[in-house]
Amino acid sequence: MEDMIAVEGLRKVFHTPFRRRRVEAVKGVTFTVGRGEIFGFLGPNGAGKTTTLKMLVGLIRPTSGRARILGGEPGAIDIMARVGFLPEQPYFYDYLKPTELLDTFGRIFGIPAAERRRRIDKLLDLVGLGDAKNRILRKFSKGMLQRVGIAQALLNDPELILLDEPMSGLDPVGRKEVIDLIASLKDQGKTVFFSSHILADIERLCDRVVILHKGEVRHAGTLEALLAQGDRKEILVAGTLEDGWAARTGVVAVDRIGGRVTRLLVEAGAADGVLRALLEARLEILQVSDRRISLEELFVQTAGSGPVGAKEVAG
Amino acid sequence: MKNLLGSPRRVAAIARNTFIEASRNRAFIGLGIAAMGLVASSMAISGLAIADQMARVLVDFGLFSIAILEVVIAVTMGVILVYKEIDRKTFYVILTKPIRRSEVLAGKFFGLAAVLAIALALMSVAWIGSLALRGVPIPHDIAQALVLTWLQAVLVTSVALFFSSFASPILSGVFTLGIYLAGTTLYVLEDLLTARKGVLVTNDAARAVARTALTILPDLSVFNLGKELILGIPIGWDYVAASGVYCLGWCLLFWGLAALIFERRDFA
Repeated sequence: MEDMIAVEGLRKVFHTPFRRRRVEAVKGVTFTVGRGEIFGFLGPNGAGKTTTLKMLVGLIRPTSGRARILGGEPGAIDIMARVGFLPEQPYFYDYLKPTELLDTFGRIFGIPAAERRRRIDKLLDLVGLGDAKNRILRKFSKGMLQRVGIAQALLNDPELILLDEPMSGLDPVGRKEVIDLIASLKDQGKTVFFSSHILADIERLCDRVVILHKGEVRHAGTLEALLAQGDRKEILVAGTLEDGWAARTGVVAVDRIGGRVTRLLVEAGAADGVLRALLEARLEILQVSDRRISLEELFVQTAGSGPVGAKEVAG
Repeated sequence: MKNLLGSPRRVAAIARNTFIEASRNRAFIGLGIAAMGLVASSMAISGLAIADQMARVLVDFGLFSIAILEVVIAVTMGVILVYKEIDRKTFYVILTKPIRRSEVLAGKFFGLAAVLAIALALMSVAWIGSLALRGVPIPHDIAQALVLTWLQAVLVTSVALFFSSFASPILSGVFTLGIYLAGTTLYVLEDLLTARKGVLVTNDAARAVARTALTILPDLSVFNLGKELILGIPIGWDYVAASGVYCLGWCLLFWGLAALIFERRDFA
């Protein structure tokens, strides 16, 4: 598959004034995004998502490593003509109307006047701002500014769309509209790369995801494979277990249900060994069932864990 | 010109945007009101002058007021507009479009130059109107003097844009005003250097500092021809054209330096 984004060993170190302190915001991130994919970039606040995105659009220069989009350098004129970008919590000129703002961007892209007007009207209707197009942006709510931001990111009919927290500031109806919009972009053959910490949106939309934490890639791959990686078995055992069971390889958790049943949560790959051990110990196994990890659990587990190497999951 | 400034289309788009945004800004409207107030005060001051000095005061104070207000607009807008774009992160959207950072700076500069031209036109109408109301004859070369005033403000704008490409708004404002004050009084240094006595004649180090200042600072006194206007000394359009070239040279230098800094800047 053709790489729309190729990031290799990307690092960014920020220095505080007079170089008294250095902060490594992104620590050797590597991933690729293929044509036509919806790619989710997940991570808690401060994970390095926005810094990575800014390096992808040329706002920040990497300290080391390499980022390429559409086969070229981020920020290059011919590349940015084919890219749409929505920054996090976008802000625009107070005294301009959305039509004037989009007209300026259309002029920068070199879109002819008639086509510009047609696209601006169409996009403002698409993002639900058809009735507000003659109001100055100063009077817009956060959600309305987010919609203007989405409209400007699509003005040049881009091949690659990078969205930093696109659902931020939107009400549930707005979120649903943006989700539908992103899904329709995929149907048009566009590639969408978006960062979010709203897991439901990622689960609904993305083909592949990267989970970033403290500047490092913790998980990368298809969503299905990522979640399968966390597949577990739940084993219910009659009676009480000795303390040593909790420390056994593959046992994630041990807890009591009522006074007479113990529940073991076991990694799928270790289930056979644990069951054999339970039988050898002559314990009565009441039930064995599958338990698939949710994206939320995976995310929390990632965010709560110490430094680990990136796990690439095939799929 | 295309290679020098980038794409005229993209520069024009930013200039147009800057002009619309700045002209609707309340700060600009406030400055317009201040301009009218100054013109009114020049009329009041002229009332205090001796009868035969009234025309001189009206011409002198009026042109001075317009020049000062143009510089105030140049400094405030030049410093605030770039700072606001960085602070409010509107640059994130602009700089991720197919446009060079140097083109954005050039567009900002031309947009502000247009704002200064409109402000000058409005103040000039009010000033000439006040002269006519008092029955003061309109000075012959008033148009040339006003164009020179605009050129000075345009040069100050390029200085403000240069400083605001790397410094905080307060520092940018202070540095720009410093350059303006030094630039308007540079002719005094020149006089002292050619004098027969004084510290600049006897002290080598002081003379070297003065010569350096004359080399690295723009001489803004070339744009201030209030005296010539009052005394009826002709100001030729060839002089205005030469001053325009001088202004353009300095603007290109400051824009080039600002672009160099801006190109390397991270927008974190």
